[in-house]
Amino acid sequence: MLSANSLERRLQLAAIVLLIGLIVEVLCLLGRGPIAFLLFSGVCVLLFLAGILLYLQVLVSASSHHAERKQDDLRL
Amino acid sequence: MLTEQPVFLLAFIGLCVALVCVFVFRPGLTVTRGGKIMAFLVMFILPILCLGAGFSAKLDASKSTKFCLSCHIMEPYGKSLHVDDPMHLAAAHFQNHRVPADEACYTCHTNYAMFGGVKAKLGGLRHIYVYYLGQPPRPEDIKLYEPFNNRECLHCHAGARSFEEGVVHISDPALMASIKSNRTSCISSGCHQTVHDVATLKDQKFWNGGN
Repeated sequence: MLSANSLERRLQLAAIVLLIGLIVEVLCLLGRGPIAFLLFSGVCVLLFLAGILLYLQVLVSASSHHAERKQDDLRL
Repeated sequence: MLTEQPVFLLAFIGLCVALVCVFVFRPGLTVTRGGKIMAFLVMFILPILCLGAGFSAKLDASKSTKFCLSCHIMEPYGKSLHVDDPMHLAAAHFQNHRVPADEACYTCHTNYAMFGGVKAKLGGLRHIYVYYLGQPPRPEDIKLYEPFNNRECLHCHAGARSFEEGVVHISDPALMASIKSNRTSCISSGCHQTVHDVATLKDQKFWNGGN
């Protein structure tokens, strides 16, 4: 299921982490007690942060990868 | 039963789940400019919106009386709201809707100073920690972290005729100023001292009317 391309694979991983975060958020919103609140403010926030940071890392590495390829093309 | 806000929020999260799934199964979409813009919206903007909306909904839910009373240790305090005796301060406030019945605990036990809500939430997190990982005290041994400040009472009562013209309150000209400056406590000075008398609950009559 994961792509062979490393950038696309990392994008998929970021999306999967965000997906898990969204599912945990739904579960927390359905729950009413303090455990749901703790789960939301701990696990859910961490998953969202991890997913967003992974995605931003893909963005940064994609732009540097793109710049390297442009330089190689100019050399050729 | 879900309220309207979480249903809308759940629908929004469902939409986000569907959009994120697109990038799980079709990451190649980001090759095009449109795909890149969509990825930015779905992977960055929407999760932040979901998190913010979810946090706001959870914070609102944590103010509810049901939330506070969901801890077993708080049950006697919930029961004390139904004592059939107008001298019991918390019960009189709850039963006469002097505080919103669905946010009864929060209304009196938050702090109406700057960052009072944040302090109340941090206090709540501490309660959860003690409840699940520490040694929770017996309900009758629970004490406030600091003496109850008149500011919390005056948030509603200041300016109200029943308070400003109360027979006892105006009996001594110095008393009103003393109450307003928190030098004379509404609760511990002996005037309204019965708040949640959980130790005597078994001897009390209860009023279970209202909703």
